[in-house]
Amino acid sequence: MASHALGWLAVALYAGAEVFAVLSLISRRTGVERAPSLLVGAGLALHFGDLMHRSRALGSVPYRTLGGSVSLFGWMLGIAYLFLLFRHRERSIGPFLIPFVLAATALGMSLPDAPSAPSQGTRGSLFAFHVALAILAYAAFTFSFVLSVLYLIQNRQIRRKRTGILFSRLPALEVIGRMNRTSVGVGLTVLALSLAFGLAWARRVWGTLGDPKLEWAAATIAIYAFLLWMDRRGWEGPRVAVLSILGFGVLLFSYSIVNLYFSRAHSFR
Amino acid sequence: MSSASEARLLLLGWNFRSAAVSVRERVAFSADEVREALERIRGRGLMSEGVIVATCHRSEIYGVAAGERRDEELTRLISEWRGMDFAEASRSSFSRQGVDAARHLFRVAAGLESMALGESEVLGQVRGALRLAREAGSTRAVLHRLFESALAAGKRVRTETEIARHPLSVPSIGFALATKVFGDLSKQTLLVVGAGETGSLFGRQAADAGVRDIRIANRDPGRAASLAERLGGSAVAWDSLERALEEADVVVGTTASPTPVVRRQAVESAMRARRGRPMFFLDLAVPRDVEPGVEEIYNVYAYGLEDLEGLAEENRRRRSHEVPLAESILEEELSRFMVWLGNLSVVPTWNALRQRLAELRDIELARLPPAERERYRSFADSIASRLLHEPLQKLKGEPDASRKLDRLEALRHLFGLDRE
Repeated sequence: MASHALGWLAVALYAGAEVFAVLSLISRRTGVERAPSLLVGAGLALHFGDLMHRSRALGSVPYRTLGGSVSLFGWMLGIAYLFLLFRHRERSIGPFLIPFVLAATALGMSLPDAPSAPSQGTRGSLFAFHVALAILAYAAFTFSFVLSVLYLIQNRQIRRKRTGILFSRLPALEVIGRMNRTSVGVGLTVLALSLAFGLAWARRVWGTLGDPKLEWAAATIAIYAFLLWMDRRGWEGPRVAVLSILGFGVLLFSYSIVNLYFSRAHSFR
Repeated sequence: MSSASEARLLLLGWNFRSAAVSVRERVAFSADEVREALERIRGRGLMSEGVIVATCHRSEIYGVAAGERRDEELTRLISEWRGMDFAEASRSSFSRQGVDAARHLFRVAAGLESMALGESEVLGQVRGALRLAREAGSTRAVLHRLFESALAAGKRVRTETEIARHPLSVPSIGFALATKVFGDLSKQTLLVVGAGETGSLFGRQAADAGVRDIRIANRDPGRAASLAERLGGSAVAWDSLERALEEADVVVGTTASPTPVVRRQAVESAMRARRGRPMFFLDLAVPRDVEPGVEEIYNVYAYGLEDLEGLAEENRRRRSHEVPLAESILEEELSRFMVWLGNLSVVPTWNALRQRLAELRDIELARLPPAERERYRSFADSIASRLLHEPLQKLKGEPDASRKLDRLEALRHLFGLDRE
């Protein structure tokens, strides 16, 4: 098993980022609020080093091993976290998002690294883009799911007049809603691109487009696109949050059950 | 404790705990009166430095007293000046000395002595008191440092504890809830229904909080226009209240109407026109202005006066839970100030001690033939400064302020430094 010193170092930095994020949320002392983003940034650089190391060993983007693909997912989550942070300048969401970066990366470092046999034509750049973008889309939708749960929690606090620590620490509904919209927007765009690359690749390698996974990806895109559309037509708020959680459920189903039992091209067995 | 310079810090005050409003009114000082009072106090030689903290709930005179029992003379001065009975002025006052006087100011700055626990306004009032005294030339090193330390401690308490976090007034709680729905309230449209006292107060608070688009609806259009003008907002005709709901993000009900003026049906149609964008109702009217049940409409939030008052009570409890933490921060800052004050008093003690040694030296030198005196003078000086060097360093480095003051007091007593 390859050594993942850089990867584990990144895990340590992500853990440090989470500690500082929680500390600055609880105590509101000044001076530590920038630490989480700096630590995640440094962690991402080391994590990238580890991914490059895996990539050289495999001769491709590290998605052909289970550990590699989960680690890549963790890295994409980190990128998505920094993107959301810089886009919305809302630090208080950090303690809820960083654990996902941390968990996926740690899992990626612990899972077996034995590569599956390279199937037909999985080395080209079309395929690499298809997979990398799909993983980024999963990362964006994961955060959309987390944000939606936080939205529902905050909404409940406001409605029930519970003005305790969660009420005061979580951002305003409008801000969480806006961040969710960004996540879904990025996820949708990237998933559509991934789908396009996947279709182009399938046409080139197999000459056919038939795979049940395609329908599920289309369903996912449809749900999230409907969500964005309804967001502007009176469903803004809790309904959009619920729909977004539902969309993530479909995504998980498509990633697990469909991949394992129905898909020919995505079974990874 | 009657040691060195600590005991010379003096506080004489009247506040809402010690004195009835009738007394507080007599000892209330305007800015001009504060200047005059400081002048009178210094003119009588009662204090070498003085600062007066005068707010609605307190008049407190802080000073560095030039001698013992100055609080009594100070009370006499104030009672004579303000035409009060001395006994009454004395009975309703409180006085503190030394570290207790300093501690009281720290507590005042932190809002622990305020009626609304942890309120932040007092910090500005303490800052203003220091500025006024500085302009009047009545502060020097000690009070300047004392007040700056108290202000820093007050700020620390507010950032490091939750004491100032939970709003206590009904409008502030309403704002806090609305802010958690909309984020930035300054960009939202606020509709105040009713231009009476509550409407006017709430509108003013909203304008101060940065809400730019304020609209006033009132049955009497003249009053709506006049309030709108004062707040920099606009008036809404009473007939078009239902249409005004479509654009209003936050609606505040403050009328004296016996029946609800905002109907559920009107809110439903406004929400359709708003395409589901959230609406927030604060009903401060008794009886209610907003028909019960509007909060069941999708994305509509509605709170009545009793909800907000319940939250105010809860927040008061939350603030009082923070008092022990605030006190520990204050003690930390207070101890830092007392160490500084202690250091400061080493210098006069040391000068007095050297003076005493020089006197003894001169007595001894007088016995010697004049030709030899010069030689023995430098010899005696050298021994004296070598002897004093180590204790001086130890005293300066002593971290415990009260122990340092005890030692300084012992030194003064043993060498008879306080004798004329």
